[in-house]
Amino acid sequence: MQTGTKASSRWFSYIGLGAGVLLLLVSVQMFINLDQLLNKVNTRKNGFDFISISKKINDENQSVKSVFTKQEIDELRTKPFVDGVAPLMANEFRVHVEASGIFGTDLFLETLENEFIDTVPKSFQWAQGQMIVPLIISSDFLEAYNVFAPGNGLPQMSSTTAERLPIIIECSGQGKQLTFQARIVAFSDRINSVLVPKPFLDWANQNLGEASEEGATRIFIKTKDANNPDFLSYLDHKNYLINKDKTRLGRTKQTLQAVFSGLGVFGVLVVVMALMLFSFYLQLLIARSRDNLQLLLLLGYSPSWLSKNVSKRFIPVYIFIVLAALAVTQILQWAFHHTVMYDRPELSSAINWIVIVIAIGLIILSIITNYRLVRRLLYRLY
Amino acid sequence: MMYLELQNLLPLYFEESKKQTSEIWGKDLRFEKGEMIKIIAPSGSGKSSLTHFIYGTRQEYSGTISYDGKNIRDLSVENFASWRKDHMSIVFQDLRLLPEQTVLENIDIKRQLNPYHPVEKIEQMAKRLGIGKKLSSKAKTCSYGEQQRVAIIRALMQPFEFLMLDEPFSHLDNNNRITAMELMMEEAHSRGAAIIFADLERADFFPYTKLFYL
Repeated sequence: MQTGTKASSRWFSYIGLGAGVLLLLVSVQMFINLDQLLNKVNTRKNGFDFISISKKINDENQSVKSVFTKQEIDELRTKPFVDGVAPLMANEFRVHVEASGIFGTDLFLETLENEFIDTVPKSFQWAQGQMIVPLIISSDFLEAYNVFAPGNGLPQMSSTTAERLPIIIECSGQGKQLTFQARIVAFSDRINSVLVPKPFLDWANQNLGEASEEGATRIFIKTKDANNPDFLSYLDHKNYLINKDKTRLGRTKQTLQAVFSGLGVFGVLVVVMALMLFSFYLQLLIARSRDNLQLLLLLGYSPSWLSKNVSKRFIPVYIFIVLAALAVTQILQWAFHHTVMYDRPELSSAINWIVIVIAIGLIILSIITNYRLVRRLLYRLY
Repeated sequence: MMYLELQNLLPLYFEESKKQTSEIWGKDLRFEKGEMIKIIAPSGSGKSSLTHFIYGTRQEYSGTISYDGKNIRDLSVENFASWRKDHMSIVFQDLRLLPEQTVLENIDIKRQLNPYHPVEKIEQMAKRLGIGKKLSSKAKTCSYGEQQRVAIIRALMQPFEFLMLDEPFSHLDNNNRITAMELMMEEAHSRGAAIIFADLERADFFPYTKLFYL
């Protein structure tokens, strides 16, 4: 076959194919990098993130109580990215706390299912008739106390000292007043509150509660990945407010993934265009060699044998182009890991196996599409 | 392939009355391996149509053509290709050579498809037919008589049970015709093959076993 003239369109399609494949492979690799980077950062010991959400309070809904209804909680439970939901229930009566004469204050008590609390000692239990109520408080509270204590002439406390501190809780409501002793049994890094065992709060709300509120103002969500873009967009959509710290990376991830998705799609487009250009080139080639090919068919050469032969000339070129793009992707990944990410252990200098699979897939795709095209054109000559 | 059958065959562009005068059109015929068939076909009697119908390159006919009882209209493109490669060879009236390729390449392209002879055999045959010195010339630079001999040698490079000749000697002198026919007879005998030889007139040097007027 004559291939000498009009080689420029062939080279254009080769270059286009190379550029498209490279763009596609690099985008996929960066996508995977982001995923690995952000998932490793947020992995908890047991593999879950616990985050609290509340409803956004703005000027329009200020007067409306922003509590989560049962339907809303049930809806959250059905979402694939949510592994558990627990409302944070609050006291519905007045609580006053005295800590062995050091300080006294009105306070709130809340309760949450044990599964959602990071530190639950065995002693965090309460049964009716028990006079000592165990408490889990936020470690932030102890820190805050230690900051302002010296200025107010109060002693600073370690967490062990705090756990030994005798505390009196006075609960009043429905015209009654009950007094309990309380002990801090643990500090929580996760929950920013004063927690009591659920049976205690249930009992107290029933006996002292003034208003029977429906729903909770804050709820905790257990999820595998607090940075999951689906999860974040769902929360945005529902106007739920969320602990920003835990999801800031997720927002960045969302943006970057969108950028790389865009680049990937662009890469796919370039690959498609290059393959189309190459198919035009093949059609031209076959049209120009029409007489010769027709004669070969007449002599007994089979169309499939001929198309295999025609395709064979381009297969090595395709393999070379894709492998070259793969090699460049590998170099870029190494450079990215080494210079931009300072060899962070979450990432690898080697390209991900998915990228290699995609590269192999592209080789197979380009070979099959061209083989089929040539065969179709040859059958038309028969 | 052991036999070839023609049943009530007629080109679509011929009138039915042709069937009355012809010994082939509209008749039921069976050609077997090893037969020497001569078809005398004056201009316009449909000689080239017949060879193209049998070779499968044209389909404008009524009736059926079958190889070993299989209607060739039912053969797939791939089956046809393998049938031409293994069972039937042809010398076209219009030769069908690759003009830009050398004589040797033109012949070898058929040999490579399904080699019956070693490549050295090409030179022997070319010498015998008097075109030994032309092997490295481009086909388009050869005279028509030389090109006819190239097409004949090319047809002998593959295995076959039927060899079809469509007016293969039009530009050869009598001596060259005889030499070429001898070569083809030898090759057909060595394969136990049949020759179907269609020409304008009677050829004394072809020892036919069956004779038909088209």
